[in-house]
Amino acid sequence: MTDQNWSILIPEIFLFIWALFIFGLDLGIKRKNPKILGYSAMAGLTITGILLAIFNGGILFKGMFQSDQLAIFFKVIFIGSAFMAVGSSFDIASEKIRHHRGEYYGLILFSTVGMMFLSSASELITLYIGMELTTIPLYVLAAFYKDDKLSVEAGLKYLIVGAFSSAILLYGLSLLYGLTGTTDIVTMKINLSLVFLSYGKIGPGLILAMIMVIAGIGFKLALVPFHMWAPDVYQGAPTPITAFLSVGSKAAGVVAFARIFVNGLIAFASDVMKPLDWGIIVAILAAAAMILGNITALRQRNIKRMLAYSSIAQIGYVMVGMVAASELGIASVGYYMFIYLFANMGAFTIATIFNDKTGSDGIISYSGLSKTSPIFAAYMSIFLLSLAGIPPLGGFAAKYLVFAAGIQAGYTWLVIVALLTSVVSLYYYANIIKTMYFSAEEPTIKIHPSFPANLVLLISVIGIILFGIFPGPILDWALESAKIFAF
Amino acid sequence: MFNTFFPILVLIVLATIIAIAMATVSVIFGRRTKGGAKGEPYESGIKPVGDTKERIPVKFYLIAILFIIFDIEVVFLYPWAVIYNKLGMFGFVEMLVFVVILMVGYFYILGKGALKWD
Amino acid sequence: MELAIFYISAIVAAGGALMMILQRNPVASVLYLILSLVALAVLFVQLSALFVGSLLIIVYAGAILVLFLFVIMLLNLRGEKFTSEKPILDKGTKITLVVLFFMELVILIKQMAFPQRMDSLMTQASPDFGGVEPVATLLYTKYLYPFELTSILLLVAIVGAVIMAKRDKNEEEGER
Repeated sequence: MTDQNWSILIPEIFLFIWALFIFGLDLGIKRKNPKILGYSAMAGLTITGILLAIFNGGILFKGMFQSDQLAIFFKVIFIGSAFMAVGSSFDIASEKIRHHRGEYYGLILFSTVGMMFLSSASELITLYIGMELTTIPLYVLAAFYKDDKLSVEAGLKYLIVGAFSSAILLYGLSLLYGLTGTTDIVTMKINLSLVFLSYGKIGPGLILAMIMVIAGIGFKLALVPFHMWAPDVYQGAPTPITAFLSVGSKAAGVVAFARIFVNGLIAFASDVMKPLDWGIIVAILAAAAMILGNITALRQRNIKRMLAYSSIAQIGYVMVGMVAASELGIASVGYYMFIYLFANMGAFTIATIFNDKTGSDGIISYSGLSKTSPIFAAYMSIFLLSLAGIPPLGGFAAKYLVFAAGIQAGYTWLVIVALLTSVVSLYYYANIIKTMYFSAEEPTIKIHPSFPANLVLLISVIGIILFGIFPGPILDWALESAKIFAF
Repeated sequence: MFNTFFPILVLIVLATIIAIAMATVSVIFGRRTKGGAKGEPYESGIKPVGDTKERIPVKFYLIAILFIIFDIEVVFLYPWAVIYNKLGMFGFVEMLVFVVILMVGYFYILGKGALKWD
Repeated sequence: MELAIFYISAIVAAGGALMMILQRNPVASVLYLILSLVALAVLFVQLSALFVGSLLIIVYAGAILVLFLFVIMLLNLRGEKFTSEKPILDKGTKITLVVLFFMELVILIKQMAFPQRMDSLMTQASPDFGGVEPVATLLYTKYLYPFELTSILLLVAIVGAVIMAKRDKNEEEGER
């Protein structure tokens, strides 16, 4: 154990200790000043980001912990989404959450730690524990308004569905272990191809394992048909947590999916291996997600439910890049998640601020917002247009890349579905913009976001516009991170 | 395999036999009086109110779940203790880390007063 | 003899599971679950997974089912409440679905030819495979890192349980 470079664990360990520190701080200051807790959580996440820039690259525990480019890329997304979730929680923390404020922030950090461990996992057991560490704090956070029936319902639904999906995932992983005799993903890849080359067949055990893993991770991703929990949970949970769920937890699912399928089971991606291929299953699920998500979103009157269905559709677009299972595919997925981080966190932050001010989540109550709070309405328009994929915003480049990867891999029909549903999605995104700008109603409310929320909004807007016009650096980084899979 | 678990099998069989025997013996030799005061929990005591399906406070549940978490910790200690001599100092340190992290949880419980029965 | 033990415990396990879902009284369900788990533990021991078998009894039959009982008492379920809701599917559809799923499972398991001579790729199992010592050796050397992660997981579980179940201090007295 001498040649091991322990320093690459420092960011995770630091964030873990910082979360404990926030617990202690909350007990120490007798819950008097919620702002200090929020700022220290943001500071902790920033320091973790800096530490991540210093200590990275290398493997630990015989490859169980890999600090490679893919892990770091996604860790930045996790830290970013946690930072923004914390930043938009200040008003909630000072008004709605009277107890356990330290735990609120601390659990967000714990979940982030879990995501960071998950994205570094190159081995099934670690991956599973990382995933549990990601979701268990989120169960609690979803039910954090203990007196609000919707929130408790959200927590309970998420817990039950999450526990079931974890069990299914575990079945799938143990079948994979049984078939290959190893938990290490790279060794698994080698063993599977050895068996296949030697005997020419593997049997239905593998397809059962793949279906179970797809279902298990699909629940976390809210991929159709495993999406039923998402709208209710998204609606009931505190809005910053909904945002964190829809970005951070989804990105964690994406990286787990990439590690298992695009790395471990890459040999079974294309239909050459019929009937043992997973590509077509995921492609059909992605198409279903895009169609169902976008069409159901048309009918929503509640902004959180609408964004929930929109995020179900968005994961469909991400999966287009994933089934491509190529370097460009993974890079486009990374880039997509990066832009999605800004656009979705931004949109949910606005929903949070709006709810804090008016107590309403209805889309109709946004009418005429442009007259009283023009900047606020402009921000929201930018986020929604980016989610719809309008140039020159980031969402356009992201969708373009994902579609390019899909066509390159021969999934032309899937890309056509994606294009058509994007047109549908434009309708409901534009509907909110229309409500804000062209409504005859005279609004009475004026929005004054707190400083951290303003910061979050500013970061999101700059991120979307900057990386939309100049996708180069992020795309290069994403391509670099996709290289670790050795296609 | 069979030799190792034969005593356990004997134990299970004996336990089953004794249980069945006790039930049969009381059925055969016991006197039966039905109904009336015999059916009540306290024959000459206070009359029972309501039924046994009372809702219990969530406090019990908290204690139970905390017990399970520490029970699982003990489950990890058991195999560790079995090979403790083989692991030596390395094993001691790794278990120390594990226990210290859980100890934080214990102090958290104390700090929050979660074990106070009020 | 071993075959007899296998069949007895397999039947007890399956029967216990079946009785568990057929019971109207939730407490009786839990007791049947314990029976099923104990029989499962015997099966595990027969597969020479001694450690897993004992864990099943210590953790599941011991601790987790106590928690189940608490939850049942907490929820205050009464037998008659179950019948009040209108079922989504009628009985015929349900039975057809169950039969179909069962047939699917049978076909899958029959076809589930795990690749022959796959063990040439793996290392041969040692005679004391599945005992406490081999499991412990793996857990505390090769899988050291997931083991330490587990402690963080347990810590999060403690925090979550305290937040959810502890009554908040300066709240009005009375039922929540």
